[in-house]
Amino acid sequence: MHMADALISPPVAIAAGAVSLTLIFAASHQIKRNQRSDLTPMMGVLGAFVFAAQMINFTIPGTGSSGHIIGGILLAAVLGPWAAFLTLSSVLIVQCLIFADGGLMALGCNILNMAAASTLVAWPLVYKPIINGHKHTPVRVTVASVLACVVGLELGALLVSVETVASGITALPFVSFLSVMLPIHLVIGACEGVATAAILVFILKNSPSMLDNAPVYDASAKIKHHRRLTLIIISSVTVVLAVAFTWIASEHPDGLEWSIAKLTGATELAPATTPITAVMPEYESYFAGIIGALIVMALLWSLSALIFRRKHAKC
Amino acid sequence: MLIEKALQQITLSARCQTQAPRLDARVQLITVLAYIIVVLSVPMADPARLLWLFCFPIVMSEAAGIGYASLLLRSLWVLPLIALVGAFNPILDHTVMWQIGTFTVTRGWMTFFSLILRGLLAYQAMLLLVDGYGFYDICRCLQWMRCPSVLVTQLLMLYRYIGVLLRETLSMHRARQARGFGRKHYPLSMYGTFAGQLLLRSVQRARRVHQAMVARGFEGVYHFRPFVQRPRAHDYAYLAGWIAVFVLIRFVTLRLPFGV
Repeated sequence: MHMADALISPPVAIAAGAVSLTLIFAASHQIKRNQRSDLTPMMGVLGAFVFAAQMINFTIPGTGSSGHIIGGILLAAVLGPWAAFLTLSSVLIVQCLIFADGGLMALGCNILNMAAASTLVAWPLVYKPIINGHKHTPVRVTVASVLACVVGLELGALLVSVETVASGITALPFVSFLSVMLPIHLVIGACEGVATAAILVFILKNSPSMLDNAPVYDASAKIKHHRRLTLIIISSVTVVLAVAFTWIASEHPDGLEWSIAKLTGATELAPATTPITAVMPEYESYFAGIIGALIVMALLWSLSALIFRRKHAKC
Repeated sequence: MLIEKALQQITLSARCQTQAPRLDARVQLITVLAYIIVVLSVPMADPARLLWLFCFPIVMSEAAGIGYASLLLRSLWVLPLIALVGAFNPILDHTVMWQIGTFTVTRGWMTFFSLILRGLLAYQAMLLLVDGYGFYDICRCLQWMRCPSVLVTQLLMLYRYIGVLLRETLSMHRARQARGFGRKHYPLSMYGTFAGQLLLRSVQRARRVHQAMVARGFEGVYHFRPFVQRPRAHDYAYLAGWIAVFVLIRFVTLRLPFGV
């Protein structure tokens, strides 16, 4: 479900990045307040565990295909939601930088779709109410995991559809895009849930204290602080989304184009050079532009290779 | 094998300090971010403008000694995902953009082509950044940009332990494979035991790591080597030069003098 840079527009990337960054700051603040000194190495090593576990595929019964866990609910069950969110975000950053899953500009979207949806929405709203106040039993853990994973992934798929359609990348209408995304992620979510449950049930049998001791940030936290934090998050989300959607929906030029229009009377500057002898006068300018750019880039490549390789050879 | 490939990638990324001109990492990060923003801001039906933007990865990869052919090859694998999302555009958008005889190119194809180019350009810029400076310097930049210290410490811890846990997973996987009679995937019951064992081992390792770190005076935050030097004149010139090029390509319609 990693989104690539090519699939989003700058306003959507900036909006999602701002929301993700706010959540990262909130998570860091919560972790600092928690003052559990073993949380840092635990988060680091468990992040690496999620990474490694994603390389192991399990067989999906009756289909002949295979899948792997994403790890949001699993991390939240062991580390608590905020630490899990930060751990999964760091996994996404490393995947982006080292393994090129996703992209720098799409990072905010990926953090929202994959980390926040499962750890900050599905875990507190689905997993925790099912488990809370009850003894951990295999059946309860399984039901909670499957439901939470399905909700997390469906929400992620919904966000992917919204971000892609808002970016104007696909010609597919929003409803059609959703009808492609949601059913497939329902199946993936159920499989992810069963795999997560299989691991959690194993942990429950062999080291139950790990699940019992997971830090839970709930009503015991200061209400005033929560209210302020919620206000900051909601207002920043609203402002950023408002700005993003205005930019997308507006038929008027953006800030820079507006400035250029003020100066020159047009939203775009005139061509740098005027064609003197048109080789392909009958063709549209698009085609001519593409051919011209290809020629220049080929020349630039040869020239750069010639200059720098000779320089490197001398070193 | 997926685990071996991931291990190889991690080892490569740890080693790669290319022959890039040793520019300030912060300047390079800002340049790459500006470049990606410009790439993403190009209208979808204008692939020619995107082609001009290839100048950055071409020049920088050659200057860094990576070679553009190698960079291009490494970036090609992002195409299937992008193509999958863009595949509907040629099917649904039939607006005619230009025509040569009977050959018609629709807006759908133009946007599809643009999408592919955007994916390649953004990924190549990121590869240049990571190859040139390594993960440690990128984390230093993040801290300099006032990212939360908890996140930066977490990133370094994660990066450090990915290799360790991948090796552990590989040895467990090989042990299981030797007894698995050729089965590639794990049945669900076995998967729970396998991944659960890995999780327990990871937690035990985390506890040992924590004790060792506390014994060495760890107080919850990783201290980086600070940026003692301010960016120099040539760093600023580099940044200004490239941003001027990006703005020129983004807002001026470039044409060769002989009509193409």
